[in-house]
Amino acid sequence: MLASSNTSTGSRFRSQDLSAPWRHVDVVLLVTSLIVATFGLVLVYSATRRFDGGLDIAVRQGMFVVLGVAVMAGLSMVDYRRVLDWWPVLYIASMLLLVGVMTPLGSTGAFGAARWYVFGPVVLQPVEITKLGTIIAVAAYLGSVERVDLRRLSIVLMLVGLPFAVTMVQPDLGSALVFVVVGVAMLVVGGVKLRHLAVLVLIGLVAIVGVLQSDALDEYQKQRLLTFANPDAVDEAASYNVTQAQVAISSGGLTGYGFGNGPSTRLGYVPAQRTDFIFTVVGEEFGFVGAGTLLLFYAAMIWRIWRIAQLAANRSGTLLCVGILAMLLFHVFENVGMNLGIMPVTGLPLPLVSQGGSAVLATFASIGLVQSVHMRRYI
Amino acid sequence: MDTDSTNVRLSAIGIVAVSLFLALFLRLWFLQGIDRQEFEAASVSNRLRVIHEEAPRGRILDRNGKVLVDNRTSIVVALDREPLRGMSVDEREGLFVDLADTLDSFGVPTKVATIESAFTDQRFAPQAYVPIAEEVPEDLERYLLERQDRFDGVVVERTAVRVYPYGNTAVHLLGYVGEINEQELLERGGTVPGADPPEDAELPIGAAGLEKAYQLGDSIGKSGVERSYEPDLRGVPGRRTIEVNAQGELVDVVALDPARQGEDVWLSIDVDLQAHAERLLEEQLQQRGNASSPPQGSVVVQDPQNGQVLAMASYPEYPPDSVVNGISQDYWSVLNDPASGLPLNNWALQGTYAPGSTFKLYTADAGLRTGLLAFGEDVINDTGVYTVENCTGASCRFRNAGSRPNGSVDLPRSLTVSSNVYYFRIADKFWNRRGEFGETPIQDTAADYGLGSRTGIDLPGESAGRLPTPQARAEAYDANPELFLERDWRAGDNLNMSVGQGDVLMTPLQLSNSYAVFANGGTRYRPTVVTKVTRAVDPAEPPGADGNYEVILEREPEADGAIEFDPDHYRQMWEGLAGVVQSPGGTVSSVAASIPMDWPMAGKTGTAQTAGRADTSLFVGYGPAIPGFPARYAISVVIPEAGFGGEVAAPLALRVLQPVANGDLPEVCPMAEQAACDEAAARAAELEELGGLQAADLLTTGGPG
Repeated sequence: MLASSNTSTGSRFRSQDLSAPWRHVDVVLLVTSLIVATFGLVLVYSATRRFDGGLDIAVRQGMFVVLGVAVMAGLSMVDYRRVLDWWPVLYIASMLLLVGVMTPLGSTGAFGAARWYVFGPVVLQPVEITKLGTIIAVAAYLGSVERVDLRRLSIVLMLVGLPFAVTMVQPDLGSALVFVVVGVAMLVVGGVKLRHLAVLVLIGLVAIVGVLQSDALDEYQKQRLLTFANPDAVDEAASYNVTQAQVAISSGGLTGYGFGNGPSTRLGYVPAQRTDFIFTVVGEEFGFVGAGTLLLFYAAMIWRIWRIAQLAANRSGTLLCVGILAMLLFHVFENVGMNLGIMPVTGLPLPLVSQGGSAVLATFASIGLVQSVHMRRYI
Repeated sequence: MDTDSTNVRLSAIGIVAVSLFLALFLRLWFLQGIDRQEFEAASVSNRLRVIHEEAPRGRILDRNGKVLVDNRTSIVVALDREPLRGMSVDEREGLFVDLADTLDSFGVPTKVATIESAFTDQRFAPQAYVPIAEEVPEDLERYLLERQDRFDGVVVERTAVRVYPYGNTAVHLLGYVGEINEQELLERGGTVPGADPPEDAELPIGAAGLEKAYQLGDSIGKSGVERSYEPDLRGVPGRRTIEVNAQGELVDVVALDPARQGEDVWLSIDVDLQAHAERLLEEQLQQRGNASSPPQGSVVVQDPQNGQVLAMASYPEYPPDSVVNGISQDYWSVLNDPASGLPLNNWALQGTYAPGSTFKLYTADAGLRTGLLAFGEDVINDTGVYTVENCTGASCRFRNAGSRPNGSVDLPRSLTVSSNVYYFRIADKFWNRRGEFGETPIQDTAADYGLGSRTGIDLPGESAGRLPTPQARAEAYDANPELFLERDWRAGDNLNMSVGQGDVLMTPLQLSNSYAVFANGGTRYRPTVVTKVTRAVDPAEPPGADGNYEVILEREPEADGAIEFDPDHYRQMWEGLAGVVQSPGGTVSSVAASIPMDWPMAGKTGTAQTAGRADTSLFVGYGPAIPGFPARYAISVVIPEAGFGGEVAAPLALRVLQPVANGDLPEVCPMAEQAACDEAAARAAELEELGGLQAADLLTTGGPG
């Protein structure tokens, strides 16, 4: 491959190893992720400054970003193949963390959903780790095989189905959907037979209807989905989030009210404004210019991850990138989509922007792994 | 295409990613680029609330700047419902019980249910304060303010309410203020939940050109000057635009337009004359003997030279303080019970009465101006009985009062002695010669004096009276045949009308204004009670003080019509009316002798018969009645069921104007200064006993300017 050509490019470079990982850092991915995270800090500060201790929240978030960048750097130093070798351990550990949240160790949050560990001032949301653990597991398993036959398909479905089932029980519909999307994307690229895929989609559709008919979804989740499907049919409280988010974003117009001046942001009209609905802050205060730019940065990140999946040295590298791409793409689309009123409301964070340490750390870790794939594409 | 190739499948992922981002961009542009305005309006209505604060009303002053209606502060306990909504039901219930008990213990009996209904009252904006008790004592205000943490959501406000320094004086003219009802609000362009405004809804604009919008709970003039000058008296409401956060808590006051007090309105009334007239009227009515109806009466004094009303008394009265905080259902039914004499009515312009012999002036004018009473035709021998021409039988004979013969009577004499026969003859001749004079020469003349139509005074509720005509009678009969005995107008109807009997009806105001027309030589001014609208320069100073007001509107006299008098005709009528008071044989002359005045009066008595009741006593006149001097006062007195005009109404009228003519009209004392005034009066009386002349000067003022 290309790696062998470096010896023939002249004596001046002979002493230098052109395949050295540090020479192949993806600068675009690095810079865009840093810019998005920094912009996120600005938005978190704007959304929290009206509270006492609002600055503390932004500073804490800043510390997580710094920590995240360190994790990203650290993981990019490590050969992703070494990481993938550990997949059974990583997968089981992350699953244990996820299941543990439903034991008395976990804390009960909004709408009775158990999603967090609380260690003093630190709140850990294990599902973000489980997502990465599952992607690593599927990438490692599928990367080691050429063909996806029914047996292998079943194993992949089990790897993805387990965290899906647990998050559904928690319940955390958004994260459960992440596992579905990640699983489908990795299976598609991993070489699943199209007829198998067709059957899977059919089963999935039947399952969705079944879930809606049964009591597997909580009332609030159904309400959110109904609100999305038919905003006029449900009571005002259920559609309040969605309406307020659109009011805030739309009134920002082309250039927005300016930092700290968005009325809905300033006066707290949009609930969960520093977490799930933080996109309203950029929409209101920085307008179409600001929100569009943020979307372009995400698009740039996704494009780079997609490109790295193409360039990866092996199948498992490609699959790792595809899994992470699917996860981030779904997070961005679902989160921004619900802010804009074109997707139902779920609890998925906006990557690198929503306040919350676990998500920031997990996202940086993912990007670190992608970076590792890029850096080691010649070795 | 090899669908199993990794690159092809990656491309599929890429296409999905591009589509999703495109969808987000499109939706973002749709929201921020296209639908922006709609959502921006939603954002504004989310966070901005406009709180409306009613301004104090303008004051009402008499012609000399004495304040007749002022404002005082009322302490109101109200609910601020924002914090209350945040409480649990039990917590709130406890607070309401506590509040009701506290109000009770301060002598403000309040039911818990009242507070609850105030809490849920949908008519008020969510941020507006809802009043639960008004006129609470100051120590309750202090008590509540000191315990604000215990009474979260309870606010104490100070609002302006009407106060009447002269008590009942001029109460009908001034009118009263009440809470605006939904109909009134809709007519003025306000909004009422669940009601459509009428098409012609329009907010009236006063002389100052200021917009003074209403909302429910505001007050509005319901009668009198308070109603007719509402657009001036009302203040410009203050607007507090506040920004609230998602919890409904006030974050910032965005804009503050302070409330602006309404304009002051000056009346043509002289409060001293008004009080004097009211006192005499009340004394007169209290002497009245048995009657089938509650006492009633009115006195109107006008300036004939411009139509201004100088005094307008109507009996019975009501205490205006009793209605400043709204009228209770019980009290409302008392005020509207006929047995109470309907004290809310201003009989001076709402009451209609048969004018009796006071009508003879118009009949006389008709006879003169048509030429019916040409020279040689104007003297008759009055035997006390008149028989209708070409008619036989008892019903053809019409009589003087008591069938008294008056001998040889010319036109002046006919007025002076009030000869019915003289006027029966005129009416009979007019009817017989209707081919020549038309059917209605008397009515046409009377209409020139303003009969049968509203005077157009700047007060609400005026009656038009009734000026009967053959045509009107036929029309009324055709419309409701069962209500009337006759369709045809007969000679007898003409005779009755000529002496103010039959169907003719007048208001006391029409009566005084018609004689004012005669007194000033023929100009029919529109009566007015307001002379000007002003705004105080320094609100802390008295509004009527010299130099402390800027004039916004000055009402000029307005002529609604004119009568061209032939000088000789005018002299004849003038002499007749002067003779009533001044000549021997005049119906008032002996009474007038007992009421000495520095200048003489002229006028006409009336004793109108009403079916099943005692006669209505009337007098209408003017003074000074000196040839070559302009008349300054026109007066009408109408007292139903009181007997002869010459015995009741006329002396009352003379006594009303006597101190004006003599320059010793007593200055009326505001109620708050009553003690001081009494003391001054006692001292003056003492001094007068000692022969001190200066003391008397202290008690008198000149007449109205």
